Parts: sequence; C-alpha cells; structure tokens
Amino acid sequence: MRATWTDPQATSEAVYEQFEHTADLGLRVTAPDLDSLFREAAEGLFAIIVEPAPAAGPSERLEFELTGERLDWLLFDWLNELLFVFESRRLVLDGFEVRLGERGLAASAQARPFAPGRQPALHEVKAITYHGLKVQPAADGGWLAEVIVDI
Amino acid sequence: MGTPAFHGPLERVDDCCWRIPRSYKPGMRVDGLIFSSERLMSQVLDDQAPEQVANVAFLPGIQRASIAMPDIHWGYGFPIGGVCATDPAEGGVISPGGVGYDINCGVRVVRTSLDVEEVRPRLQELVEALFRRVPLGVGRGGAYEFDARTLKRLMEQGPRELARRGLATARDVEFTEAGGRLEDADPDRVSERALKRGRDQCGSLGSGNHFLEVQVVERVLDEAAAEVLGLPLGRVCVMIHSGSRGLGYQVCDDALKALRGVPEKYRIRLPDAQLACAPVESAEGRAYLATMRAAGNFAWCNRQLLMWQTREVFEQVFGRSWEELGMQLVYDVAHNIAKLEEHVIDGRARRVWVHRKGATRAFPPQHPEIPEAYRAIGQPVLIPGDMGRASWVLVGRPGSMERSFGTTCHGAGRAMSRTAAVRSSAGRRIDHELAERGVVARAQSWRGLAEEQPDAYKDVDLVVDVVERAGLSKKVARLRPIGVVKG
Repeated sequence: MRATWTDPQATSEAVYEQFEHTADLGLRVTAPDLDSLFREAAEGLFAIIVEPAPAAGPSERLEFELTGERLDWLLFDWLNELLFVFESRRLVLDGFEVRLGERGLAASAQARPFAPGRQPALHEVKAITYHGLKVQPAADGGWLAEVIVDI
Repeated sequence: MGTPAFHGPLERVDDCCWRIPRSYKPGMRVDGLIFSSERLMSQVLDDQAPEQVANVAFLPGIQRASIAMPDIHWGYGFPIGGVCATDPAEGGVISPGGVGYDINCGVRVVRTSLDVEEVRPRLQELVEALFRRVPLGVGRGGAYEFDARTLKRLMEQGPRELARRGLATARDVEFTEAGGRLEDADPDRVSERALKRGRDQCGSLGSGNHFLEVQVVERVLDEAAAEVLGLPLGRVCVMIHSGSRGLGYQVCDDALKALRGVPEKYRIRLPDAQLACAPVESAEGRAYLATMRAAGNFAWCNRQLLMWQTREVFEQVFGRSWEELGMQLVYDVAHNIAKLEEHVIDGRARRVWVHRKGATRAFPPQHPEIPEAYRAIGQPVLIPGDMGRASWVLVGRPGSMERSFGTTCHGAGRAMSRTAAVRSSAGRRIDHELAERGVVARAQSWRGLAEEQPDAYKDVDLVVDVVERAGLSKKVARLRPIGVVKG
C-alpha cells in the first residue's frame, strides 16, 4: 500500500476538482502515484483559498516532515499543516514537492507573502475535516483522495 | 446535493415533530426527534442529516432523545441543528463534533435609537465605513493584537477582561449569554498553534456565512417584549454573526486529533468516527472541556470587539457618542457550544452537558440565567436569516426545557451548496439585485456574495414558524437587512 509506483495504465496525470457539500467544499484528487496525489491535493487546497495568480515577489522554500502510517490521516495532517502556515504566517504556497516514505512524508514548497491585492482570497478555510476523508487505490491503478473542508 | 436520501423509519409525533424510533438501529440508546413541517421535512430527507440524528443517539449517557431543529442539515458526525444532552453520572460523553469547529459561533444584536428614515440618507456611507473599519475576510487579522499573556486572560475571563481595558461595559457583559464567561476554562492547555492563529483575530469577522448587518425592525409580533428589548417598529439595529475564529477552529482540530483512538479505549461503539468523544469524567474529556471553554470565552471577546468597532463607526458617521445613539447590546447568544445545565429528567433535577451544534439556547421566562431586565419575557433568541429577506428575534417560552432542553433553531439553513450558488449567479450582479431590494451590500469578493446570496438559504420565516408552533420559542420581531458587510 505504501510503495510509490506508477502503473502505465493508470491515471496519467494528477488532477483535482472541487465537489459539492451542503455548506462547505469538497476536494477530489486523482493521481498516478501517492507523491503526486499529495502534491495535487496541496495545490487544490490553495485553489480553494486564493485565486490563481502567476508567481511574483520574493519567496522562500519551506520544508515539511510529517510522520504517520495511515494514509488518510497523513493527508489530513499534510493539508492541515499547509492551512496553518497560511493562517499563522500569511504565506501562500506552490511548487510542491512531496515524497512519501515508510514512516510519513517529506515535502517542500515555495512560499510567498499573501498579497490580496494581487491574488484575491476566495474562501476562509476553517478546517480540514474527517468527513468522507479517503485515500484509496483507484480502479485504473492510480490513487484517489477526497477531503471536505469547512468553510 | 449529490448525497443519498434518508429512507429510515419516521413516525409522526404531532403537527411539527417526527420520531426516528430507537429500534431503527441496534445501538441507539434513545429515539431521534426532528422538529419540522411538512414543507421543510421534504428537504430534510434529501440528505443524510436524519441518519446523523440517529447516530447521535448512540452516544453514552444521552438523555431523552437525539433532537434536531427545523434548520437541520448535513454536518460532520452531528447534524447542524442537532441537540444532545449527556449525563456524566451515567457515563455521559463530551463530543467536539457536537460543538463544531467554530466553537461559540453566535450572534449579537445591538440596538440604536435611530429610525430607518434617519439612517437611509447615510446608509451608503455607513456601510462603506463599516466595511473599511471592521476587519473581515480571508487572512485578515483584527485591529487588536494581543500578546500570549493577554490572550490567555481573554480566554479565562471573557469580555470582563475587555471591560477592564475600557473595551466593554458592565452592561455589555451582563447581556451576554453566561455573562460571556464559561467557568473553568484553562487557557494553558490551548495549543501554541491555536494561540498563533488567534493572536490578531480577536475583533475580526472572518468569512463564509459570518456577517455584520444593519437591520430595521419591520414587523413586531409581541409589542411588550419588543418594548423591553428596545426594538420597536422602524428602529435600526445591528446584527453581528461570528465565532472564535482561527483559535477556536484550532482548538477543535487539536481535540479531534487527541481523540483519535479514544472511543476504542473506553469501548464506546460509534456508527461514525466523526462522533469521536470521551467520557466527561475522563482525562481526555476534561482536557477538551478546558480548551472548549477557553475558545468559547474568546469568541465572546471577538463579538464584543466587533460591536465596539461598530459603535465607533456609528459615532463617526452620525457625529454623536454611541451612548447618545442608544447603542446598547440587546443580547448575545451562542449557537455552537456545550454547556453544563440543570434539567429535570424523569422527575429529577440533573446536571447534563447540553451540546448545541447549530442550535440556540432559549430559556423560558423566570429562568435564573436570564438578565433581570428580561426575566419576565424569556431569554432573547437571535436568528440570522439571509442577506436579502429577514432575520428574527424570538424569546424562550415555557415548555422548551421539557421539549428541547431549552433550545431552538439557529438560522435558515442552506438550500444550495456553495458551488451551486456560484453557478446560479453566473451573469448576475448579486449586489445590484440586493440594491433593488433596498439593501446596500459590501463584500470582499463577488464569489462570497454569490455563495451567500439569499436564494442559497431556506426561507427563515418557515423555520421560525415551526419553532413557534412547536412551543420552543416565540416570535417577537422580524428584522429586515438594509446594509450588509461580508467577508
């Protein structure tokens, strides 16, 4: 389950989409492997928080290390970590690199100060939720993740 | 909304109450009860909210029934609009899901001595000034930044601490539910993360469904009560809807993480992992309660500072002091909270933990927790509707303690998902539509307005009709928005 591999028949590229939930928003991600699944989920989270904008201004590279064996909780913790960085340091992240290992995850991302004038905000995400949280192999050999965020 | 409908058993109890019998699922300790109407019930059955009502009935120590209000909708573990009381003496549990991420999200109403004719000519200017002054929206902190020590005092003392700093009056404190302070809060147990998220957010509105509205009393149904509350016909007031901001969200998040594996430890069988809980009388239960109370007290400080800034804006626009403008707090209610309360159950007074997740306390007349000035009319209940139609002021009435642990509804409830609301607003200008209805609206983003447009909500009048007919609370005044500020 934890090995990262690519099946040539699997989903060829990682994609995310938003889906409906009564008062909140869902994020569905498909990817050929777990590394790109977690990377794409991070992109998807920031697409809920801010409008897309070309990278500009000074930036720094942030490193992350998370431990955890359960994939769904690891995804939860990963997104939660990103949300905390945005909320507490007002940093918008992109350019994610994620590597899953036996005991958790190592990742890095490019961080820029949140500049609402240039990149307007879309939603205040209150929290990542456990509601309908899933990380599972997809029928085509790739991976599927779903998570609902509280708005 | 893409979710499976509920097909479980439902028995009609009376005109406005349905029962999900305990026999529905093995493990339910009590029945489920849903207060609703024929019309609203058809929407309630569209998703899994009734299933969640049944699931809550599994919680150890639950008393009487797992109850839902007419604005019920699908939540996380608990339904939004859910009420559940647990008795610690019977192994009762406390569940963060029964409080929600936004601990002590709630509403306050500030009255003024201004009539709508006096405000209309300055309305544009007033809304603009509120929009510029009150911090709102994503990633925006407040005008007040508190160091960790002060933050902890706010979490321990609530708005009393603000009164000490000249940012609240004794009267403000008195007219806040619980005097704005839950006892036994332990801010030292609140995580560094929560402190960091809350540091500059006290006195900021946030986004989503939170708002600040200038409203006018457009209909009075109980003149005596409206008189006592200072809300006669044609009078302008301000409604503020916000909660504990990032600090509270983080406290909930920390608690859910700490509770991973805890139900198993206490051999609590749950039909949904999101009902994660711990016995009240356990180390884990006490730890959550200590931080939940701290976040609750912080939320009251947040709404107090939002009101304080509102008073300052009115002073600036109308050129008179807020006291001269009669800007007294009518009341402040929490609608996401758990509180230890005394209720008579099976003929015996017992202290139970009442979880209100998207539900409002509505104590009847003469209850000792109601401020002296309101004791004859019952506790004021403030129900936000939508930004185009109406909000309501109700009061608690006799019988609510027995029917719903002294609880009523909390809002209109969503009728459309956020994505559906955005789709339906393609090519429209929601702000122009609101202007045609006489509402001046300012929001941080067009998308925020689209997601929160009036049509995205159920008709709050229908919800309020049910709680009145069910004897849970009584209508006093219908408030119509004329100025809207959104994050």
